[in-house]
Amino acid sequence: MRPVSRPVALLLAFLLIAPMAVVPTVAVAADDVKIALVVPLSGRWARQGQLKKMGAEMAIEEINSQGGIKALGGAKIVLREADAGDSVEKAVSAAQRVLTREKISAGIGSWLSSLTLGVTEVAERLQVPWLTLSYADNITERGFKYTFQTSPVSSLQAEQALDLVTEIGKKNNRPLKKAALVGDNTAATVFFFKPLREKLLAAKGIELVADEVWTPPLADATSIVQKLRATQPDIVFYGATNFPDSVQVLQKVKEFNVKTIIQGVGAWLVTPEYVKTIGKETMDGIQTVVAAHPLKGQEELVKKFKQRTGEPFMTQDPLCTYAHVWLIKEAAEQAKSADPKAIRDALAKIDLTSGPAATTLYPGRIRFDERGRRVGAIPLIVQWQDGEPFTVVPANVATRPVASYK
Amino acid sequence: MAASELAQYVATGLLVGGVYALMSIGLALIFGVMRVVNFAQGDFMMLGMYLTYYYAVALHVDPLLGALLTLPPFFVLGLLVHRAFLVRVTGGGDPNREMDAQLILTLGLSLVITNATTMILSPMPRGINVPYASRAFAVGPLLLNQARAYAFLMALLLAAAVYVLLTRTDLGRALRAAADDPEAAGYQGIDVRRMHGMAFGIGIALVAAAGGLLATYHPIEPTVAVNFIVLMFVAVVLGGLGSIPGAFVGGIVIGLVQSLTLLLLPLQLQNVGVFVTFLLVLYVRPQGLFGRRARTV
Repeated sequence: MRPVSRPVALLLAFLLIAPMAVVPTVAVAADDVKIALVVPLSGRWARQGQLKKMGAEMAIEEINSQGGIKALGGAKIVLREADAGDSVEKAVSAAQRVLTREKISAGIGSWLSSLTLGVTEVAERLQVPWLTLSYADNITERGFKYTFQTSPVSSLQAEQALDLVTEIGKKNNRPLKKAALVGDNTAATVFFFKPLREKLLAAKGIELVADEVWTPPLADATSIVQKLRATQPDIVFYGATNFPDSVQVLQKVKEFNVKTIIQGVGAWLVTPEYVKTIGKETMDGIQTVVAAHPLKGQEELVKKFKQRTGEPFMTQDPLCTYAHVWLIKEAAEQAKSADPKAIRDALAKIDLTSGPAATTLYPGRIRFDERGRRVGAIPLIVQWQDGEPFTVVPANVATRPVASYK
Repeated sequence: MAASELAQYVATGLLVGGVYALMSIGLALIFGVMRVVNFAQGDFMMLGMYLTYYYAVALHVDPLLGALLTLPPFFVLGLLVHRAFLVRVTGGGDPNREMDAQLILTLGLSLVITNATTMILSPMPRGINVPYASRAFAVGPLLLNQARAYAFLMALLLAAAVYVLLTRTDLGRALRAAADDPEAAGYQGIDVRRMHGMAFGIGIALVAAAGGLLATYHPIEPTVAVNFIVLMFVAVVLGGLGSIPGAFVGGIVIGLVQSLTLLLLPLQLQNVGVFVTFLLVLYVRPQGLFGRRARTV
């Protein structure tokens, strides 16, 4: 090998040393409470991760500006984010990295149920309490002690959503007789469709006329929509979590002029980019079942979020992380400790009926059963109206009444 | 199965395949002339989609025209990328130099482009809302999506233009000579290194235009490449590595197989048909449908 010349050696030395001079000494005080946020920040679900981060940052700013965690002498909360990417392997290694590098008091993530399943295993092993909005049933069916699921689980959502939509159908004089299942095979959708397919639809006397499931990405939606056109279901339960797939299906539904109720399963169907990509005429009337959405009385919060982020409206993903951060704060107050085990124990015992966390998660009370599921969690139905999604069910917290567009 | 339903599946497959074909031609050209396996091809397609998007949003240019307008800037970009990076790992035409580094280079380029785009333009998906994306031409009982039909026609035109360029012009002859035998081409006074640059520029411009056409009906996000790059490679290998007509036919075949697979298999196995066909073709004709044993374009 040729010896390195002096200028090159100097340059290399400079490059090595310069960053140390530029990076400020770590400004984190010893008693700060660190929360990990492991969500997709790259790959096909990066947008959802970004939205979740916005919610977490907003809550942290509020808490810190109001004096931090009082039981810990005003300790501030700091966020440690890690990119879960778009595969379980990436998510697991991100969680591993962020949880072993320094002491983390609690974690939040990872949006897609398939990712959450992997990440919670790491959290369980490292004994860090983990809050998730993911829906899949099996997240809290593994006997884990450190996983807390604040959303109603998929199968329960399916049951409650079916009750809600049959009710709406009856009211509008459009009883549901035929249904279709259209969606990808990611965990939350699978667990939503399974009970519908196996028992729930039959129990309501609804015939399942089409059952189309794919692995993202979807190459083309023609065959799916052709089946819908041929079988004419009254309602389509719709679970296309990957945005390009979903856009293809909705464009085709319009192109083939299929008239049906589209009932989404999840908050991926209420992001602002839908309106920009396929127009509000196509979206209006489409509804989806979600774990959280702005309710009547949360106008101030939504206004603040919109001002902070420039987003046109607030949805489940920032709302849930906003609530999760506040919930961790409450748990730390009750535990009087930033120790992850103490916070876990506090979360397991918590019964919260006031404060930002409780008011954000319907029906306004947070406590967990022995599996880590939030007791009494009920899904909401959100409907697109005039290019914006509004909570329409339950009526007492709805921001608009249900509209029948199509 | 009604004949009209079968016809609908065939028509859909053809329309989808047309854009796959255009994407794959660029890759085949680059491989044929330079012997470079360009893993970043899909990312240049994604950049083409973004440029078309900004043409549409900022200048109100229809994406079909916008796709054509991506050709010149991406040709220049291809030349620059070749000059700055690829020249160092392709040996500038010397066939005896080691070429392993090119795989790492193009893979690295792909990662850098995807992540830089995520950082700069944010991961938020964007879309060009054109009315013809959700309208169809009714041809008898068939419904042909308008955006896809236009994209298909444009893809055919561009592919034909490439064919004319390669067979009827001096530049084309020089490109083919550089592909067939770089050493002999050099003796004939052809600047092989320049031909590599041209091939890379044209290859990138074509895939960017394909991206522009795709943007009429497919949302744009930094990671869109992963959905297409594997299909591009399958099309190119299926058609015969480096063969332009082969890549075109390969692209069309993939579209058709994807669509017709659904007649036999559930939706979840949509791409299984593609890979089974791929394996069968390689088993029967290892050189691909249009491949010769020698390299050619």
